[in-house]
Amino acid sequence: MSSIYFVALPLLFGFATPLLQKFGKNGVAYASTGMQVGLFLLALYLMATSFWAVEIISINPPLGISFVLNRASLLFVFLFTLLMMLFSFYYLGLRKTDPFPSENKFFILINMVLASSIGLVLSSDLFNIYVFFEIAGISAYILSAYHKTPKALEAGLKYLLTGMLASVFLVFGIMLVYIHLGTLNLAVVSQTFHTLPFNMKMLISLLLFIGFGFKVEIFPLNFWVTDVYEGSSSLINSLFSAIVVKAYLFVFFHIIYLAMPASDFAPFLLMTGAVSMLAAEIIALKQTNLKRVFAYSSLGQVGLIFAVLSLENSAAVAAGFFIVIAHSVAKMMIFLSITSIEREHKSVDIATLKELNSPFLTVMIVLSMLSLLGIPLLAGFVGKFLALKSFAMSGEFVVLGVIIVASLIESIYYFKITGNLFEKGERRRRLSLSKSQKSVFVTLAVLLVVLGTLPWLFSGYIQDASLSMVDTESYVNLLMGGLK
Amino acid sequence: MIEALFNYFNQEYVIRALVDVGSMTLFFVGFFGLLTQRHLLKIFMSISVMEIAIFLFFIGSIFNKTYTAPILGDGHTAFVTMNDPIPHAMILTAIVIGMAVFALGVSFAIEYYKLTGKTDINDINEMREK
Repeated sequence: MSSIYFVALPLLFGFATPLLQKFGKNGVAYASTGMQVGLFLLALYLMATSFWAVEIISINPPLGISFVLNRASLLFVFLFTLLMMLFSFYYLGLRKTDPFPSENKFFILINMVLASSIGLVLSSDLFNIYVFFEIAGISAYILSAYHKTPKALEAGLKYLLTGMLASVFLVFGIMLVYIHLGTLNLAVVSQTFHTLPFNMKMLISLLLFIGFGFKVEIFPLNFWVTDVYEGSSSLINSLFSAIVVKAYLFVFFHIIYLAMPASDFAPFLLMTGAVSMLAAEIIALKQTNLKRVFAYSSLGQVGLIFAVLSLENSAAVAAGFFIVIAHSVAKMMIFLSITSIEREHKSVDIATLKELNSPFLTVMIVLSMLSLLGIPLLAGFVGKFLALKSFAMSGEFVVLGVIIVASLIESIYYFKITGNLFEKGERRRRLSLSKSQKSVFVTLAVLLVVLGTLPWLFSGYIQDASLSMVDTESYVNLLMGGLK
Repeated sequence: MIEALFNYFNQEYVIRALVDVGSMTLFFVGFFGLLTQRHLLKIFMSISVMEIAIFLFFIGSIFNKTYTAPILGDGHTAFVTMNDPIPHAMILTAIVIGMAVFALGVSFAIEYYKLTGKTDINDINEMREK
């Protein structure tokens, strides 16, 4: 009974909110943060004890619902709980001066995001995945329209429309799987999917690709993303970019690896990822709004992760996991910095950075951009280096070239931003950060540096995680263990 | 005459064909609405019609006319000639989720209309790229 806590406790928190309100103004905030710290410690404990388990809820597989906690899913659970905890600490600093309106709802929503993202990663059942897909979607729509300004509502509407379409296609794909295979359990689907006729396999893959493609922000289906990022608050964007998208990415490739390994679909995914990265970086060049620039940069990085993961070997998956961690940490830093800047300057234009008077935030933004760019001694370098290596090993030199070109383009607009940061000019009064906010930034920065300078401390774990992601046979055995 | 017509429509393959053709037609009615309509509420309705079409298709293609309801009793002692209850449970869940998202979308649209007076999807461009 441990993996279920990751989903149940954050959901339970929503029901407990009316009670917690009785404990004064800070009751809900402290209880939410405390619970997230607890979940983080639990994830840390499970990582330290090299734990794996199947959590069966009332009926044995393949009929019942079960959560599978192996190395790969545990890595993502750990990442999500860590980032959500840091996010809460940052918000605790922010709420003293500038709290969100009707804060309790905000805490319920972020906990729903946490629960559903972890649920997506742990679920071993297609219909459960659909349910968590929708819970994550609904809480994300409300969060992006949270401030009820015209821009925020527009962002919410766009997100919701695309999300509704995505779920139509996803549910169509899942139902075709059920009609033809008579099961939704991923282990049984994994064993029987190859018996389907070729056309049906392609149709189901395409439907799943469209369903998840909207959510993981991949190239032809990501037209809505930048508007959503611009309209919603940058605090919320940090959640979208660091947690929600990563959960969707994990579960999409999880299904791909289990159901259609080494399929005819993989080259298509590889090319989509590469094109996605190149297109996003080119469009990012002419953007002047910081949120939009980093939204496009997120799209680019997601394209890179998509391309790496579609190589389907354990070295590439390890590279992909490294990039996922580095990108989540760096994007969290950047969007939290933009939140502080936006509160102070009421603007998110690139030119605002000329007036920024905060050496601390300047260092943080530059550090995270260097990591995204892949400069040595930072986490992004390890990920990008391993990724390029695995492209070369697989003989995908076209994709390799595209990614190097895209990274060069990326560096142009990062240097534009850095130039604005260091330009001499009229500075505003000093931007003050609370202690908890500063400690969040320092923790994230230390993570980036430690991952970059001492990657061998973590590479063992990440390799294990990538092996358990690729090794579908042991996943099936683990899941079906209750049946035999 | 009516009985013959009834018997014709009660045949297995006719029902299958009706379900397949009917639900796919409904799907494309929704898709057509999505592409041609400009009012926000009509777009939400179109997507809902697409969703309902898929639910109908699923229930219709999994349902077997000769099987009974999945309840033990009345001489039935095992789950052999009974309809599969799982799709129905799934579709119920999916309908509820779809309804919730639809209601949320309509509430966003109403709030947006109150603030800006716009309902046309082509006019929703506070953040048009320069």
